Amino acid sequence: MVAPTFPGAVEPERERFVESLGLRIHVVEWGDPAAPPVLLCHGFWDHARSFATLAPLLAERFRVAAMDGSGHGDSDWAGAYMWAGHIHDVVAVLGSFGAPAHLVGHSMGGGHVTDAARTAPELVRQVVNIDGFGPPPLTPAEEAQVAERFTGFLDQRRAAASRLDWRPYPSLDHLIERRRAQNPRLTPAWLRYFVFHAARETAAGWCWKADPLLAHGFGPWRPDWIAPGYARLRAPMLAVVGSEDDTWGPLPDAIIGPRLAGVARLERATIAGAGHFVHVERPRETARAILDYLEP
Amino acid sequence: MRLRHARTELELHELSPRDGPALLLLHALGGSSAEWSEAPALWPGPVFALDFCGHGGSDWVRGGIYQPEMLAGDADVALAHVGVAALAGAGVGAYVALLLAGGRPEPVPAALLLPGRGLAGGGPRPDFDRSMLTPFTPSARPPLPAGCDPLCGALECDPRPPDYAAAFAARARRLVLLEDGDPRPPWWAAAQRAPTAESLDGDVRRALARLAEIATAHGGHR
Repeated sequence: MVAPTFPGAVEPERERFVESLGLRIHVVEWGDPAAPPVLLCHGFWDHARSFATLAPLLAERFRVAAMDGSGHGDSDWAGAYMWAGHIHDVVAVLGSFGAPAHLVGHSMGGGHVTDAARTAPELVRQVVNIDGFGPPPLTPAEEAQVAERFTGFLDQRRAAASRLDWRPYPSLDHLIERRRAQNPRLTPAWLRYFVFHAARETAAGWCWKADPLLAHGFGPWRPDWIAPGYARLRAPMLAVVGSEDDTWGPLPDAIIGPRLAGVARLERATIAGAGHFVHVERPRETARAILDYLEP
Repeated sequence: MRLRHARTELELHELSPRDGPALLLLHALGGSSAEWSEAPALWPGPVFALDFCGHGGSDWVRGGIYQPEMLAGDADVALAHVGVAALAGAGVGAYVALLLAGGRPEPVPAALLLPGRGLAGGGPRPDFDRSMLTPFTPSARPPLPAGCDPLCGALECDPRPPDYAAAFAARARRLVLLEDGDPRPPWWAAAQRAPTAESLDGDVRRALARLAEIATAHGGHR
């Protein structure tokens, strides 16, 4: 199948791999390799091409790299995943530039870049977090049912030995339809471009590239732990949200506000007319806000 | 025998094949099934000992991710093979035994929690001032034995909140916690407060005898 195109989406100019915990992390780049670096980190189940319309706009001033997190896109699959492993991936890519970088992350990637900046402050200049401020607080019922929810996790792990890969879908359109159901604000033309790069065609049909085991996670982590982490962030942060309600956000300010309250150097921006995929729905406006914020 | 937990192959050792209540042994951080050689003589039924991922005869996890909940998944795959089993765990294996006893109360009549390496984890809550890459920095801690994946040291860094442990303890059928005078972490004290938990002073021999009493009274043998 010929790769779909999308207005404003530009093919990466370079690609490379960086090693992290024995896994190959896939990195694509746009712009002058001698310019100051910016690293873009995607959200859960997404991949580097989610920035295909934003990256070329940032590349007017920067060396722009976008990475596939472990288990996503064209990066290796692992035996298991946890948050700290994804932070290791980001720090490994940061270490490959030879100079401190700006970090931009969307959704889960927004959480990753914030924690990577805390973890490796010597490698990070400024942070842009696009609607990646964590899930809402647990309900009392969710808190009380932790052991019951763990039974579900154990069931999932027992079943995993026979579900280590996706079942193939008969066509790319089937995958597009699956994704459209989750992200109804995204246009069919964008989803065709994005899902084409999120999947591969095999002899049996179309399969997602992202590892099904990414869905397996369990631990004592709780949203209450977000704010204390933010309070230790030394890098300046631009916090970006869209103005429109969407499947995954934005969270009400009553939740985001207290989490961001401890960020020492914080600016906030709201992009009008955008939902959760702020940079996909409004790439020019998002790029303008980011370029206005980032130091040269 | 070889068992599969997702992409990882595990080694489960059957130390003593016979009739009676089954016992599944979960070793401490850096340990292996080999540390349980005396257990069969102390137990009235079949005894199984698991090597956790990254340890003994089991695979190392690709990408180096080790956390107690994933080890509980290892132990649950062994439990599925054995059927009904009492658990005895040492160190990180004790915490894993608590998670599994609360996550699978039906096939686990009781769990014995013993001291050993990896008992405390990283404390009751995250250390927000510490690097998030500490779990991947083996040099920060005493080295693990040869043959153990050095990245298993992450099991000395994960937070173990008391209320989280208490929720698992509340759902477990019976817990036996062995005291030996050494201090215990906050999660242990929280588990101890569950109505179905009992503490024992003494040695492993006495604790296994108490566990055998409970398991035998429960019935449900293989």
